[in-house]
Amino acid sequence: MLSIDKNRPPAEWIADLRRRFPCETEIDRILTSKLNRRAGPGYSPVSLETLSNGVKALLQQELKEPFEVVEAKWLSGGASKVQMEFKLQWNEPGVGRTTTRMVLRMEPAESAVETSRLREFQLIKAFEGILPVPKAYWADAEGKYFPYPAIIYGFATGVTKPTGSVSNVSGTGINFGPALRPIIGAQFVDHMARMHTMDWRQADLSAFDVPALGTQAVEWQINWWERVWEEDSNEDIPLMRFAADWLRQNMPPVDRLSVVHGDYRSGNFLYTEHDNRITAWLDWELGHLGDRHEDLGYALNLVHAHKSEDGKTVLYNGFMPKEALFEAYEKASGLSVSPKIVDYYRVLSTYKLTAVCIGSTYRIARGGKSHQDVLLAWLIGAGYVIAEDLRRVLKEV
Amino acid sequence: MEIRPAIQIQAMIKSMIDVVLPAVDPEHKMAQEQAQLIIGTLKMMGQRLPLQFRYDRKELDEYVALSVELLKQMRGSEKTQSAMKELGASQVEGAAVLDRARAEPGELETAVFDLRAKVGALVKAVGADGEAASRDALKHLILDAAENQLQRELSWQAALGYSDPAELQPIENLIGVSPAR
Repeated sequence: MLSIDKNRPPAEWIADLRRRFPCETEIDRILTSKLNRRAGPGYSPVSLETLSNGVKALLQQELKEPFEVVEAKWLSGGASKVQMEFKLQWNEPGVGRTTTRMVLRMEPAESAVETSRLREFQLIKAFEGILPVPKAYWADAEGKYFPYPAIIYGFATGVTKPTGSVSNVSGTGINFGPALRPIIGAQFVDHMARMHTMDWRQADLSAFDVPALGTQAVEWQINWWERVWEEDSNEDIPLMRFAADWLRQNMPPVDRLSVVHGDYRSGNFLYTEHDNRITAWLDWELGHLGDRHEDLGYALNLVHAHKSEDGKTVLYNGFMPKEALFEAYEKASGLSVSPKIVDYYRVLSTYKLTAVCIGSTYRIARGGKSHQDVLLAWLIGAGYVIAEDLRRVLKEV
Repeated sequence: MEIRPAIQIQAMIKSMIDVVLPAVDPEHKMAQEQAQLIIGTLKMMGQRLPLQFRYDRKELDEYVALSVELLKQMRGSEKTQSAMKELGASQVEGAAVLDRARAEPGELETAVFDLRAKVGALVKAVGADGEAASRDALKHLILDAAENQLQRELSWQAALGYSDPAELQPIENLIGVSPAR
């Protein structure tokens, strides 16, 4: 069916994609690596024992004192990475002998979003003390100790949704209920504001390229996701072609560079039910330097929204209508919101998510490349909901 | 439309082998046996699904041929003549269906795949050097076509639970009736 066999990508095709869609250095590295590995074997199950041994091997290099890795077990949640919880009995610097619950987060052979563990590690580190994030301990960015690249961070307690409530896979469509809505919603906005106003120049973000003010940050994002669409999609979708062209024709200049989370939504934070406080923001793998409006546009995706009890009002991320989100964000951040630019990023974010949910999930399940292909095959369905969102936004702008 | 049994079956088999089966209690013999049977059944479905249409067409072809011969060679009284009359009607109908069932489902898929790619390439080309009037027309044509396409896709996958069922039409209403006789 294809003129290019994307399951066995030729070297000249990979080189052509790199030339046509220039991205940040680290993004280019991981996307190229993905394609170079693609013709190789699918994902084979990895045992808890193998991962525990990987942790031990890594820590033997990192720690001088004796330690024990105990009580390893699988964690579910997310559509992208293999996750194992364990306890480390160790002599923690500055603390002494202690037992710490930790999480190992490792890539499968191919991920729904192919990203850099080093970037994820650096971003979590950068936000320690600024936002509730897990403590980042170690990164194995090249997969030296594990079958694939991995990071280790502290276990954060909490839930992604009220106990007993239901949502679809990967935490889409969470309903927090009327009582909890304003409490968590206020933190959702406040944390976004803190993230966007954080002085990233003081942090070690060596795995990130710094775009020039203007349209470079936007262009890198378009290139990243159009490249992913080219690399992973099976059948073409003319709407995606139209959207990519529209995005290039209408790039808004960035007036201020912020750290952008890239997947800022319900389902990607934990909160504790006894005090309703957000305890950890997770999934930093899509983070980059760019325009604050990008996270706002992403927050308006309909796949992460539901209607309120009146059956009419759309509550984005299960919290509030669009206007209320903008008003609260401006108040919390002191930064202006341009609804027109937010609309631009609604197009970009729905384009990106469609590329992931219809393109990447298909390609991975087709190649047997992950630990949860059946979930990814299910997630393709979310892609069509998002594509419909994309179509509607394009009709409005 | 990527929500197709081929990819779903393949993913289910991998999930059963890699994740579910190793977690089934080895002492629960019935659960072990049924998990294995599920894998085996899914494998068979995956192998045979692409051939199902061809199998049915071959079967119809042979029954039409058999019916023709029977109608030529059989003779008898009232019961035989009545049965032959009914067979004759069904043979004519069967032959007409066979005549319409020429293209393989795979050929249909390939043709759609090809047109999607060519339309996509034209959209990209018009974006690069199309005339202004063409670009305006393109927006309407592509977004309108996408609306129909997405309505169909969302209805097709209603059981996945991503959409409010009240906002979807039954898929049967969107993909037309069976081919005319």
